[in-house]
Amino acid sequence: MIKYILKRLVLMIPTILLTSLLIFWAMDLTGGDPVQIILPENATVEQQEALRESMGLNDPFFVRYFNYMVGIVTGDMGQSYITGLDVFGTFMHRLPMTLALGGTALIVSVIISIPLGIWTAINQNTWKDTLGMILALFGVSMPNFWLGLMLVLLFSLKLGWLPSGGSSGFKYLILPALTVGFGLAALITRTTRSAMLDVVRQDYMTTAKAKGASYNRVIYGHGLRNAMIPIVTAIGMQFSLVMTGSALAETVFSWPGIGLLIVESINKRDTPMVTGSIILCCILMALINLAVDIIYAYCDPRIKAQYSKKG
Amino acid sequence: MSDNILEIKDLVVHFETDDGIVKAINGLNFNIRREKTLGLVGETGAGKTTTALSVLNLVPDPPGKIKSGTIMLDGKDVLHMTDKELEEMRGNDVAMIFQDPMTALNPVMTVGDQIAESIELHQHVSGKEAFEKAKEMLKMVGISESRAYDYPHQFSGGMRQRVVIAIALACEPKLLLADEPTTALDVTIQAQVLDMMKDLIVRRQMSMLLITHDLGVVADVCDDVAVMYAGRIVEIGTADEVFNATRHPYTEGLFDSLPNLKARGEELVPIKGLMPDPMNLPEGCTFYPRCPYATDACKAKEPQLYHMGGTHYVACTAYQDPNFRLRRNSNG
Repeated sequence: MIKYILKRLVLMIPTILLTSLLIFWAMDLTGGDPVQIILPENATVEQQEALRESMGLNDPFFVRYFNYMVGIVTGDMGQSYITGLDVFGTFMHRLPMTLALGGTALIVSVIISIPLGIWTAINQNTWKDTLGMILALFGVSMPNFWLGLMLVLLFSLKLGWLPSGGSSGFKYLILPALTVGFGLAALITRTTRSAMLDVVRQDYMTTAKAKGASYNRVIYGHGLRNAMIPIVTAIGMQFSLVMTGSALAETVFSWPGIGLLIVESINKRDTPMVTGSIILCCILMALINLAVDIIYAYCDPRIKAQYSKKG
Repeated sequence: MSDNILEIKDLVVHFETDDGIVKAINGLNFNIRREKTLGLVGETGAGKTTTALSVLNLVPDPPGKIKSGTIMLDGKDVLHMTDKELEEMRGNDVAMIFQDPMTALNPVMTVGDQIAESIELHQHVSGKEAFEKAKEMLKMVGISESRAYDYPHQFSGGMRQRVVIAIALACEPKLLLADEPTTALDVTIQAQVLDMMKDLIVRRQMSMLLITHDLGVVADVCDDVAVMYAGRIVEIGTADEVFNATRHPYTEGLFDSLPNLKARGEELVPIKGLMPDPMNLPEGCTFYPRCPYATDACKAKEPQLYHMGGTHYVACTAYQDPNFRLRRNSNG
């Protein structure tokens, strides 16, 4: 198992190299002259040229990429053009905010969606199932930012119960977490339903009933444990998306997380901030995926056996 | 107390699907005597497994519906039990061994936990005690105690079936329903598992319903035999009566389709035709389209059970004629 984890960590290196190359290249294509952002408007051409030279902007693409990667390996992801602050430090400063938002949204959605998914599965083809699936379809199809705006309209403007944006307390977390959580819940509900539908038809469920196990014990004790693999996959994928892609919700609620950081940096053409943040997001995503794979092993002993064999 | 542990009367079970009503069991009657083994024989699709599931009131609903009939287990009607009574009965009074040991075990639980579960459910002991008892059960079915911590995928098919048997026997049920317990195993293992079951049944004074399509197994294990066709019993009696004084044309067909060591090289005689579509059963005797003795009378009405002496009954209209004999019997 430990061998397997180490192997996966090593395999992350080529992935990160490739994605960083793509991002670096894409940022290079977007053009824009950082010198004009950094220097005051009245700077002379000579001053600009001198800065370009000292920042290495005149070097060929691969030389710049190589220098950047050397920086990353030695723990230096560069400084923001705008604030002059360390990219890594800024990212890490913002990370807890996104973690709080994503975590709350995920917990809320799991609490709602797993029971709802089971409920629709065991009532398959009845009105209960249809109702649950309509709700889930609604949740999947509704754009995140639109739902956010509607919630603001209702709870902030009309009722005045909750703040419409900002981040100075738990109250501020509720609306963004609901917004992100609703879409998440819809997806996890659907995954739980289809996984449970598959599981309830299995022979071992009949074995459990024939032992005299109660209905709840059969469904939650035997069924849910077997349905966990697809559910954990869905949760993991959703979580990495929330962590790295909740830019819309964060923008709507001016929630100072990673998503908002990237959006602001793109708007300000803060290239090192954008490149660095996206590479860090990739690493985060890879780590979450690894965590999901490790959780698999605890859900299913057959997978654990495979890991040790491959080890 | 009645002499029978189980009495099934006029049981009707239908599966109501979108394509139509599947008439799986159509007026089933039989009893199982205390501490005896009844073999339930028939082709695939005759309703054998549905019969066993009915005894546990576990026919999958939807689409399955137990339409009518009574199932008296030790004097109590299974079909009128509350959920709680059912839970107490399942696994404790009646336990079931399933056909396919590869799928009957929960892949994410250790076998020890799976055996301990039914002990914990019925005997009100602590988890630890239950697990200790589970280990004893493993030893009893010939598996080392240390393997209680292993998962089903770490066992072979024969070993898994032993685990399934250990689960079924864990609470010492009065009645064991064994649904083709050896069909999924290879031949050498079949004999081992069967011998073990025979031994345990006698030692623990249990009754058993053994579902099989293997007449050799029936001859080996069963006291009584019931032959099932299209959801009804066509012939029932002691193993001796059914094997040595076969009365029903269908039972005769089953014997004729068996290879005979004494007459090697002779062609096997299959029963012609196929089992009727349970959504669309023929009128009258359901076997008449395949029956070599069929007359118009068979088409007209459902045959009643004729008493053939002893405990031997047969559902065949031909016995209205007291001189009727099957070929098998008239040739000696």
